[in-house]
Amino acid sequence: MTFRQARWDEPPLWELAPPKTATTNGPAIALPGVPDRWRRQTALRWPELSEPEIARHYTRLSQMNFGIETSAYPLGSCTMKYNPKVSEMLARRPGAADVHPYQPENTVQGSLELIYRLEKLLAKVTGLREVSLQPAAGAHGEYAALLMVRAYFQDQGKLGQRTEVLLPDTAHGTNPASAAMAGFTTREIPSKNGCVDLGRLKEAISERTACFMLTNPNTAGLFESDIMLIARTVHEAGAMLYYDGANLNAIMGVSSPGRMGFDVAHLNLHKTFATPHGGGGPGAGALGAGEELAPYLPVPRVAKDKRRYYLDYQRPKSIGKIKTGYGNFGLDLRAYVYILSHGEEGLAHVSRRAVLNSNYLADRLGKFLPRPFGKLVKHEFVLSGARLKEEGVRTLDLAKRLLDEGVHAPTVYFPSLVEESLMIEFPETESRRELDAFVEAFDRAIHDTPQHLREAPKNLSVGRVDEVRAARELQLSWKDLRTVPVPSAPAGRPATTPAPP
Amino acid sequence: MLRSLGLPSFDALFADIPKGVRVGRMGIGPGRTEPEVVADVDKILARNKPASRFSNFLGGRISSRYLPAVVDALISRSEFLTSYTPYQPEASQGMLQALFEFQSLWVELSGLDVANASLYDGATAAGEAMLLCRRIHPGDRFLVPASLPWEEKSVLGNYGVGLGLKVAEIPFDPVTGTLDGEWIDREVRRGDVFGVLADVPNGFGLVDERVLDLKSAIGTVPLVVSADPLALTVLQPPGEYGADIVVGEGQGFGMPPSFGGPLLGLMACRREHVRFLPGRLVGATQDVNGRRAYTLTLQTREQHIRRSRATSNICTNQSLVALAFVLYASSVGPTRLARLQAELAEKAHALATALHGLEGLKVPRFTAPFLGEFTMELAHGNAVGFLDRMLAKGVLAGHSLSDPLRAVKSGPELVHVAPSQAADTADIRKYVRAVRETLAPGPAGGP
Repeated sequence: MTFRQARWDEPPLWELAPPKTATTNGPAIALPGVPDRWRRQTALRWPELSEPEIARHYTRLSQMNFGIETSAYPLGSCTMKYNPKVSEMLARRPGAADVHPYQPENTVQGSLELIYRLEKLLAKVTGLREVSLQPAAGAHGEYAALLMVRAYFQDQGKLGQRTEVLLPDTAHGTNPASAAMAGFTTREIPSKNGCVDLGRLKEAISERTACFMLTNPNTAGLFESDIMLIARTVHEAGAMLYYDGANLNAIMGVSSPGRMGFDVAHLNLHKTFATPHGGGGPGAGALGAGEELAPYLPVPRVAKDKRRYYLDYQRPKSIGKIKTGYGNFGLDLRAYVYILSHGEEGLAHVSRRAVLNSNYLADRLGKFLPRPFGKLVKHEFVLSGARLKEEGVRTLDLAKRLLDEGVHAPTVYFPSLVEESLMIEFPETESRRELDAFVEAFDRAIHDTPQHLREAPKNLSVGRVDEVRAARELQLSWKDLRTVPVPSAPAGRPATTPAPP
Repeated sequence: MLRSLGLPSFDALFADIPKGVRVGRMGIGPGRTEPEVVADVDKILARNKPASRFSNFLGGRISSRYLPAVVDALISRSEFLTSYTPYQPEASQGMLQALFEFQSLWVELSGLDVANASLYDGATAAGEAMLLCRRIHPGDRFLVPASLPWEEKSVLGNYGVGLGLKVAEIPFDPVTGTLDGEWIDREVRRGDVFGVLADVPNGFGLVDERVLDLKSAIGTVPLVVSADPLALTVLQPPGEYGADIVVGEGQGFGMPPSFGGPLLGLMACRREHVRFLPGRLVGATQDVNGRRAYTLTLQTREQHIRRSRATSNICTNQSLVALAFVLYASSVGPTRLARLQAELAEKAHALATALHGLEGLKVPRFTAPFLGEFTMELAHGNAVGFLDRMLAKGVLAGHSLSDPLRAVKSGPELVHVAPSQAADTADIRKYVRAVRETLAPGPAGGP
């Protein structure tokens, strides 16, 4: 069976029904008390469409998109697992969706209880004292955590001195970016055999270090077995240890950030706890903190007084707010459903199955491409496509060729310490049949001719996309599109985008 | 599978995890079946009282609106809902085109040149806008209206603290509620201001005419306007009166309030500043065969490439909510959107007129024009007590504007009121009656 993605010549919305160019739709509508100066003089140029037109347009677009229900997504560090339908159903209940964050507390006891319960459950999973659900995403949680570290050292009178954040060269890009936003300088610690080089960490760490940020297992798919020594080194230097929870899916029920000695951690609920990725978001970035940093968590905290839940702002050390509201509640609910469904043993089994999938696949794919690091991996592993370069084939070509097989490509060119790297993660929701099918697809792809690989993909809605042209021409909205012809526009539709007046 | 790896048990997969960091039981309890989970969650949610059970006058940046069924139906398509970030453009043309349409819509509403593919919410978008200002203008002070919602002030403080940026509050005229223009002139002349933010409507619900002249007053200092997308269907696009950056909260276009999340951060800027813009950007281009195609572009601004020198740390954004935004705007359509804003304004004015002159209240508190929301002042008593008493009469009467992070409270308390789309003339009458009963002198309703 050969995979073929839908290929619709689907024009952008405004070409379906070119917007009216009348001078105004503003002053025709009475607005009590608003001066004419304030009124919109140019009509909003957006099409008036019927529901069937909209439904067909977006259904066609959806058919030109991979999703977890159309194909496996072996993206390393992204934990693309199946998103249960029951969570979707429950998140849409009026009791969840039709609740305004500014309603009086006695009308939102259910929402507060759900947040309270999930925070407690995540505290147990992480082994940390308190959890806040306020951050909107993982990077947002990282940023909040670093602000907490900042505030902590400020209270100690050491902020002027502790200006540096250390991180391994395998760290996710968000780590150094968050550290820089929080006003720290960053310094990378080189890895040895894919793990933190403890000697180099000891050399680099000093009284200037505020925090060491670590993912464990790391992005090479390896568990940092020196973690106890790392934690001791960091703490003896008076610094904080930060856990990037992107890879938590590997260790639930086996270890935890708290047990490993981390002081603060973020979790991506859209990874480990199966909330949908939504084409790039929304996510949810739960933030856990140990004893020293817990007082600095964002406010409000959800607290309980006898049987009544309330929003607690009386946290004098708190960093304050990092977003409007109390977090992505709709996603929190889904994560709660996921934890409740799995329970203690189920979560532990999730990690076992994810690690088994990864080792099985690493073993089989290791026959095609070299694995630069250790035999035993956790939830993901890295291959190097460097040898393909001899035939003029890049890892990117292999990734595009895999798309033609109807499977998503792995993460490519990360981590950067491996030349031409592919980072592969098949979470527990993928069956052995799915893994074997991926191995077969990989086999076909890697043994295809170099020319075919370079010309891939052929079976998708478009061929290889010219990203260089995109960056050079910068057509970023419909206004920019006016001079570009629409190739093969169907009959009856304009061949060019109507120019805005 | 274990056997094919030559492993005796699952434990062997974790042989690299030292004993010293092993955990025993987490203490989470046993797993539950789907009907058990549904029963548990429904039991918890039953302790909520959804907003639609009341006469609803809650607003701020988050709104309860009718959502056409087509919006949720289409964002629920699994190809959108469960897809990853479209880093592989050939496999993701659908989401990329939808995000391109979203960017185009915010460009159109804001009157600027370039919009990104979303940020977390309106408050963090304002924070990112402040950082963008600092990239294009020197200084260390950012001016925001004192009337800005306290949550946004707190978020802005947190977005600036790392770089040593200070957020200063522009006083408002105590009668009109409008920005103090002389204060702004004086502060900008000091030369340390790198940006000014104004919100439309502002935190009091006012449409402040001074905002239209703000850019000419501050000159080369960048102007950020935080605007409500629905208001922009009838008000001048900020790009036309000189805004350099336009941000906003987009939840009201396509998402239920969901106890405050997910929300949607909107952000647009001028073309010359595009390389300083945070977040993902979708661009149109061609494929190898010359067909129109879309892709993420200018990724060298972003954390996964530029790391500590990225324009922001943001990775995961609010793509699906951005899709809901463009779906909502398209299914309601521009004409009915403008009409909806006008209806909300009529309701707000009808309520304010009916409340005007009642004892114990000052309505509206400020004299500047307003659209669909306004602020009232309680002569005595605290806002929370007033709102609780209104609730007992079936009215979600608004929200307190007091900042819970400020220990010292001074002066009479303010309540922000915004009729929801569902509130009708009967709800307005009910509101007025409830106020009369609540604030009536006597043992039942005293301060």
